[in-house]
Amino acid sequence: MGSIAAKKEDLYTPIIATIDEVEQLTFSEKRFHITLPNGQELNHQPGQFVEVSIFGFGEAPISVSSSPTRKPGFELTVRRTGRLTEKMHQLTAGSQIGIRGPFGHGFDVEKFRGKDMLFIAGGIGLAPLKSLIEYAMDRRNDFNRLIILYGAKNPAEILYPAEIETWKKMADVELHMTVDRPDEHWKGNVGVITTLIPPLQLDLENTIATIVGPPVMYKFVLMALKAKRLPDANIYMSLERRMKCGVGKCGHCQINDSYVCQEGPVYSYLRIKELEEAI
Amino acid sequence: MSSQTKDLSQLKRYFFDQNTTDRFIRFLMDKAQLIAPHRKGEKSYSFQVTTDPQKVVLNYPRTIQPLKKFFLPPRETLLEFELNKKPKVKKPELKPQERIFLGVHSYDMKAILLLDYGFERGKPEENYFVRREKSIFIGIAYEPDEHHFAQDLGIDIFDTTGFSLFMVPVEKGFLVFEVDETGERILTEFGAGLPLGNEIQYERPEYAKKLKMHHNRLPQIFEHVYHSDVWKKIAERCVGCGTCNLVCSTCYCFDVFDEVELNIIAGKRERRWDSCMLNPFAEVAGGENFRPTLESRTRHRLYRKFKYITDYSGELYCVGCGRCSKYCPAGISIIEILNELIEDYRRQQEQHAVAMG
Repeated sequence: MGSIAAKKEDLYTPIIATIDEVEQLTFSEKRFHITLPNGQELNHQPGQFVEVSIFGFGEAPISVSSSPTRKPGFELTVRRTGRLTEKMHQLTAGSQIGIRGPFGHGFDVEKFRGKDMLFIAGGIGLAPLKSLIEYAMDRRNDFNRLIILYGAKNPAEILYPAEIETWKKMADVELHMTVDRPDEHWKGNVGVITTLIPPLQLDLENTIATIVGPPVMYKFVLMALKAKRLPDANIYMSLERRMKCGVGKCGHCQINDSYVCQEGPVYSYLRIKELEEAI
Repeated sequence: MSSQTKDLSQLKRYFFDQNTTDRFIRFLMDKAQLIAPHRKGEKSYSFQVTTDPQKVVLNYPRTIQPLKKFFLPPRETLLEFELNKKPKVKKPELKPQERIFLGVHSYDMKAILLLDYGFERGKPEENYFVRREKSIFIGIAYEPDEHHFAQDLGIDIFDTTGFSLFMVPVEKGFLVFEVDETGERILTEFGAGLPLGNEIQYERPEYAKKLKMHHNRLPQIFEHVYHSDVWKKIAERCVGCGTCNLVCSTCYCFDVFDEVELNIIAGKRERRWDSCMLNPFAEVAGGENFRPTLESRTRHRLYRKFKYITDYSGELYCVGCGRCSKYCPAGISIIEILNELIEDYRRQQEQHAVAMG
């Protein structure tokens, strides 16, 4: 116990960062482009999160929605769901916020090298997954097929219409979308996201599936993937919990023995199977 | 975590009569901030900063709160901020302070060593370790009551791990044992004189085992009882108040809040103790609750003590202080929960044996 004095870190003081662009994406979602002071970069992995401080309102864990290959700065996609995010939506370019992180483990991109990538996103789950999708597009030669499945409640809630238009035009990207409730202009698929899975032709051994969506989605997507005989070891997912401290202390994000802010938010399905409370 | 337990029989010992003990307490008060057990109301005890040596009570069953409040305060300001156009953030200054904790039972000491692991794991937290680094502990032997079961968990009444000095009540005073170099220095400065031979003996308080199985096997039991009916049975009596978490020696979960002063310019970020037994603990932004039942929360609390952190540290995170049992308004005893789980495990093993023929 002699070395107590040597080990201490200030874990809770955020860096003051600047919002330099705000974009209204849907009725309840906005995208914020953020830069750190003095030309610092976040240097995150796709799938990692930061703790965002809106002083006076608190701190919330938010996934980084841009790829680390797209510098300078990074972007966060935020849905209005409570006091803090409501306040954040009122901020304009030039506003300052606090940032801590990046935290946790994102997607292990080195492991995915040379693979067929199957991205499965439901609703705002596309935000964290976009960091990996853009990463794969920017390092296109490192990956084989890129297949994107995206499901939204209705056409008005499609998160990144501009990006999606670009992805549609990319010859080496396979994009499949569906909505639960179409409007009069919608010409695409109608139905839940799992309906997009059976028609896929997959090289099972070499396909990596990454899933991010609302809690209710995981079990059904897993069932559909298992029905295709995709190996469990090839499945990764990002889990949502209330990471209050981000540094493995406060206990709020704990799933059985795992602190999501440390081991997650991205987990291999093999690990998820050991965690009874996970999905 | 180092765990070199020194056997009292190998340590230098001194005899302090009541007068010497009073003088010693005054000496410690001059040396540093002295924290010791005091009476709180008629039947309760509390660790408090000592201002009057006469008010220190060295013979006590347990304090309401363990020592964690001195290292992880119930409320603590993490940041102060100003809400101007450009927010200014300041971290309150943390200064290490010499503190001596007198009259600490071995299970409360063990709890601090376990908290050290929690606050070091991953990233060592400054707030905790600044408070921890200049703390000195003087232990004391105690008489176990109906709720103590530290011995069943392998924490002996005379366990000296973590202490600098250790006191054992004897007739007309105390035997004071010199455990480490800090303890030796304190006794020299105090002028304790020459150590005794072995002529004064002390008695080991009586203790009847309370758990139906050896503590080394508890983590193994927790491999088998995740789906036990015991959780439901306990949850039916539990009122979900979270008292067990608040008085637990090793619970350290917290929540974080921002508060703004009435002028709307200044504010602070504060952390407060939280409780995994409370309903919103595992709730996320959309309203989904990942431990929505008392059953799942009771299980989580017990698994945190006997499995989850144990899988990484090798240590049980219950020290057998008995606080959760003593202060539970529904009269739920952790000893009873453990014994029921042990019984359930044994039944499973028997059924398995029968099935295997």
